[in-house]
Amino acid sequence: MMEPTQSQLAGEVTSQAITSPEVQHPSAIPAPAPAARPERRKKPRIRQTPPEPVPPPHLDDYKGIVGEASIDELRFLANGLKGKTVKMVNSTAVGGGVAEMLNQMVPLLNEVEVKTHWEVITGGNDFFEVTKAFHNALQGSDYQLTQQARDIFLMHNQINSQRIQFNEDFVVIHDPQPAALIHSRDDSRRWVWRCHIDLSNPSREVWEFLAPFIERYDAAIFSSQSFTRQLAIPQYLFYPCIDPLSEKNKELEDSFIQKVCDEFGIDRSRPIVTQVSRFDRAKDPVGVIEAFKQARKYVDCQLVLAGGGATDDPEGAAVLKEVLEAAGDDPDIIILDLPPWCALEINALQRASTLIVQKSIREGFGLTVTEALWKGKPTIAGAVGGIPNQIIHKLTGALVHSVDGCAYQIRYLLTHPDFARQLGHNGREHVKENFLMTTNVRRWLLLLRILAGQSK
Amino acid sequence: MTAAMAPTLTRTAVKPFYFNTSAHLLRITRQKATNLAELLQALRECPENSIFQHTFRTLQEHHFIREGFSNDFAHWALSSCNEPSLAENLASVDVREFTSVAQLRECFVQIVEKFLQRSPVSATRGARETFYFCAADTIVIPTSFVAHSLPEFAEGLRHVSVHSLHHHFIEARLRLRLMSNDFSQWLLEDLGLPDAARQLNRIDIYTATMENVRQQILRIVERALL
Repeated sequence: MMEPTQSQLAGEVTSQAITSPEVQHPSAIPAPAPAARPERRKKPRIRQTPPEPVPPPHLDDYKGIVGEASIDELRFLANGLKGKTVKMVNSTAVGGGVAEMLNQMVPLLNEVEVKTHWEVITGGNDFFEVTKAFHNALQGSDYQLTQQARDIFLMHNQINSQRIQFNEDFVVIHDPQPAALIHSRDDSRRWVWRCHIDLSNPSREVWEFLAPFIERYDAAIFSSQSFTRQLAIPQYLFYPCIDPLSEKNKELEDSFIQKVCDEFGIDRSRPIVTQVSRFDRAKDPVGVIEAFKQARKYVDCQLVLAGGGATDDPEGAAVLKEVLEAAGDDPDIIILDLPPWCALEINALQRASTLIVQKSIREGFGLTVTEALWKGKPTIAGAVGGIPNQIIHKLTGALVHSVDGCAYQIRYLLTHPDFARQLGHNGREHVKENFLMTTNVRRWLLLLRILAGQSK
Repeated sequence: MTAAMAPTLTRTAVKPFYFNTSAHLLRITRQKATNLAELLQALRECPENSIFQHTFRTLQEHHFIREGFSNDFAHWALSSCNEPSLAENLASVDVREFTSVAQLRECFVQIVEKFLQRSPVSATRGARETFYFCAADTIVIPTSFVAHSLPEFAEGLRHVSVHSLHHHFIEARLRLRLMSNDFSQWLLEDLGLPDAARQLNRIDIYTATMENVRQQILRIVERALL
């Protein structure tokens, strides 16, 4: 098990741990007096720079997690595809969930001898400005589609279709940016469009422009049933997934978890309620503080809001300011603005938590929920986006629709630990069954076999 | 010597038992329901492998839940439509009592029809969440386990995935068109063990996780070995 060395933790501070003097609880029924609070560092030591990338895991590394039988199944499924080739195409090699997923998925497919090649499209600023606007418009933002935007989109797709060879048996195009590459298809190959965004409420103009391209594919893949459009082609459901061996999700030594809590002044002898998310209004961090304050009238607990995005995003900075104002000088609210490479620290915070909250009011799939469930944590989350795919109310977690609902669930789960433990157990099993990297390898292999005419 | 005459420990099966498993891919279909009237319509029109997905398959996907989950229709009726009595009726449908998806579909249609006759006001009341009908595309996969005898069978049972158990123990009745399962059929026909075969069919899959089911099957098989 890898654990960061002291030297990785040491160094100058790059995050803020916002702390304030202790105040009297404003409790209707006073909570029990907390134990002596660990001294909180004004400047917690965290890594200043991103860690070196680690080599991707091999399939056998997952045996201890999903069992040998599951890995054998993958190898058998892959046997039927020996000699077949796949090309994955997306718009970025680094940054973002799609590149992260392809970085893990492509080596695993190659390991089972399904030769998979990953190609990244190129384009100028004009192209990526248009595709960024398309991306937002497809997820509901207002947008006026101009002829110039159409021309830029089509021109860059045309340039890429001349640059990229499509000789593979299967071509998988990720997201709208390269969708018009379908012009390059010939009938001997199978083309799939993998849509990672929510199309449930798109700009009509942008969707009507893109839909004729999409309908020329052999199949489309969506991340949730609710993200789809009516299409004439088969649509498959591939949930996003997490890698249980990544820094964000791997098992940690308790001594490391303790060290992280000590750095941030978190008292592990008292219940810890945590939300991990960017400082973004869609994640309703202020609502979480309100829910926490309501719940704490009845149960002793601390709140940790750990996230990022406040330094490189003006809106994030504004939201962080609102959060700080809402927290006031409450010593039990710990707000951490962490850089994006603090995956191990986030992992430790999640594992140290008694409950995890993700009170989003808008959400994509919600992979922070998946991470929480994987760690066996009772999880309370807003019933939006892909979260209901992960949380079955009262079976794998608790779904909430309001601040009051969130406050009630915090109180209930903190005072019913057996029930909370059962939710955590079920949540972890749900992730093991549906939302791990190995499950996604299986989905890809199944889809390729189905497209090759090998299903029942 | 016939299979039934030798001691169970050393008895060789007439035919070996090949442990298989099945892998499923979820396809999103055209049907969806935003209220109970639409659910009824979609139940009548959806492809058979949609009914299969939301009953047999969902049980497999949630194999780790001991109680409170039966099928997707019941869950939606409660969580999105707030109709506990309908949910109770839908949840009480035991997939093991059906040897064809067509019969199972008819059962769900009748339950919803009867409910809406009793409570017509519920038909068009909007659900909190839309029900999206999915369908399962399936590929059967062999495993490395083959049993020629009861001890080898027990060994296979200990090691195969819960998906393999589901494939042989629950989904099998749709293939066999019998109120039974692959394990019981093999114990009965190829090893001559009718008591063990019968006991397996009495295991309650709705009050146990699939891991619990595996332990119960193993206990019955191990008792037969004594």
